[in-house]
Amino acid sequence: MDKKKAIVVKNLKKYFKSVKAVDDISFDVNYGELFALLGQNGAGKSTTIRILTNLAVPTSGYIEVAGYNVLKDPTNVRKNIGLVAEKIILYDNLTAMENIEFFGRLYGMKDTVIEENAQKFLKLFDIWDFKDMLISKMSTGMKQKINLARALVPDPQIIFLDEPTLGLDPVSTKHIRDFIVGLRGEGRTIVYTTHVLHDIELMNVDKVAIMRKGKIVSIGSLSDIKKHFKKAEIVEIETDRMLSPNEVKGKILDQDDGYMKIEVEDLNQFMKDISKLNVQIRSFKSLEPSLEDIYVEISEGNDVEEQSKMVNVKE
Amino acid sequence: MSIWDIAWKDLKTFLRGKTRVIFSILMPIIMMLMLGFIFPKTGGSYSGNIGIYSQDLIFNAKVEKLLPATATNKMIFYNSKQDLIDALASGKIMVGAVIPKDFSLSIALNRPVTMDVIPSPANPQAGIMMGQMLVGMFGQEGASNVKQNVQSNLINADGTPFNYYDFTVPGLMAMIAIMSVMTGLASAITRERELGTLDGVMVTPISRGSIVIGKVLAQTIRGFVTAMIILAISWLFFGVHFTGISLLWTIFLLLLGTFSFIGVGVMITAAMKEQETAMITMTTITFPMMFFSGVFFPIQQMPQMMQYIAYIFPLTYAADALRNVITLNVGWNFIWLDVVILAGFAVVTSLVATFTFQKLTQD
Repeated sequence: MDKKKAIVVKNLKKYFKSVKAVDDISFDVNYGELFALLGQNGAGKSTTIRILTNLAVPTSGYIEVAGYNVLKDPTNVRKNIGLVAEKIILYDNLTAMENIEFFGRLYGMKDTVIEENAQKFLKLFDIWDFKDMLISKMSTGMKQKINLARALVPDPQIIFLDEPTLGLDPVSTKHIRDFIVGLRGEGRTIVYTTHVLHDIELMNVDKVAIMRKGKIVSIGSLSDIKKHFKKAEIVEIETDRMLSPNEVKGKILDQDDGYMKIEVEDLNQFMKDISKLNVQIRSFKSLEPSLEDIYVEISEGNDVEEQSKMVNVKE
Repeated sequence: MSIWDIAWKDLKTFLRGKTRVIFSILMPIIMMLMLGFIFPKTGGSYSGNIGIYSQDLIFNAKVEKLLPATATNKMIFYNSKQDLIDALASGKIMVGAVIPKDFSLSIALNRPVTMDVIPSPANPQAGIMMGQMLVGMFGQEGASNVKQNVQSNLINADGTPFNYYDFTVPGLMAMIAIMSVMTGLASAITRERELGTLDGVMVTPISRGSIVIGKVLAQTIRGFVTAMIILAISWLFFGVHFTGISLLWTIFLLLLGTFSFIGVGVMITAAMKEQETAMITMTTITFPMMFFSGVFFPIQQMPQMMQYIAYIFPLTYAADALRNVITLNVGWNFIWLDVVILAGFAVVTSLVATFTFQKLTQD
């Protein structure tokens, strides 16, 4: 048992007959980390979350959450986790507060503590005034905020957020995204899955794992993953005159007046070549590939084995 | 064309659920086979013992001599009306007759006379038929025209007039309570599963056993309230009588009857991923149970093989015990076996449900 690790997964497999939903994955998450699990639909993200939260049984593998073996000590695991799943976990015919109280009591919390915590989160989400409203009368955005509050009121150390911004408008999405970043700041461990890659870049996650066909095809910090997948340099350069293709010796992606976006194979050679030209450089920027570029490249790969053996990018 | 598209889509989605399709096919097969087999093919004869409580000493001496016991219809004399009722409750006799003091004298003087006939609550049809047979037999002992002067008065044990509703109402109570619980369970487990709220509950530290017991408790209370409504209606509108003790027994038996079936319900609904599949499966089990358990049709009149099947269902025992309590106003001595069997069903199925719930609900 590693006391620093909130989650330890070793050789986890989950097969549904011939379908390999999760195919021999291993990773770990430190306490206080914001860990993002990415992948297309059916990549195995939700199944992995269900196994980690004791909702599904693995075919094989070792899983430790909050220092407890998920298979041998599930109750202690469940005492330390909260879940926001794809489906909103709230009863439509109960009010916001009734839902929060119900779930809080299942954690053995006293009503006064539940009320105190509920007040804190509902006020933070600016929905305290709606605490006595039936869930069925609420908008999707409001429901998701209550849903988050419901998961957080028991004060879990580790929170699993499976697509928490699905179906939300941009304002609600931003609100929830900022809130999640704030949670990490409080020292909680967060496991976050999403399709919205833009969110991951904005949230400055600590670690990203990209899944495809049940396997983790890349894992590491966002910047290291980007470095790893950087096959060619892309530079943006502004000069006092237009450069010809012969002069830049690279693939021109975009140009306008003195601005050029160029893909070059060797950045050092490009710099040497350009310095020999009679041209004044006004600005220069080397661009990183976006997470979306990497994600699409991985997701469109024909075969996981060919695409890449698991890329474990260490900081 | 679009009409067909809608119909085809509905059929296609239905056919995608294997369990749903299997139970939809099984349902009519079971129903038709069952209905074809439980009812006797011929009119047949009613067999069973006849109980007599006679206050007329002359009658006793004459009848004991004239009507010796036969293999199928033995006549048993009892010393009190309560003994007669106890014999009905324990199933020793199919019908009980109460002979008044002046029975023989009235026949001799060609005066009209009435004897009370109490049919067995478990098989009132047979009881009524045998009661009529008794009237015929006793009437023939007098002058040629006395037969017309002996009349039977069909009553319950408490002296109130008998009607067929008295036979059906106890079984109906148990059946409606159980059915409402089964429907509630499909909603409480499979629907929660579909909505995702069951995941929310399962991810908390509460034990799986506590989840099952909580669900069972809610459904038992629901079934109990339903049963109380039935009880009130049968008392207010249909003249079903309860004494204080029988009311307490009725409440206890309804709770136990409902509880006895919940474990099976939990297992079925926990194993089903969709509410519709759970409902069809439940109906396939509960609907035949309604006919097999003697709610509408006495088990004793079913062919022997069907009687064996009837005793698989807990409703059979609940209905039997309730009939004894409501119609005959008897207590523990006559219903203990039913109670023990129902409690056995309840404990065993609830334990199995508790231990399998985790496995059934996990992916």
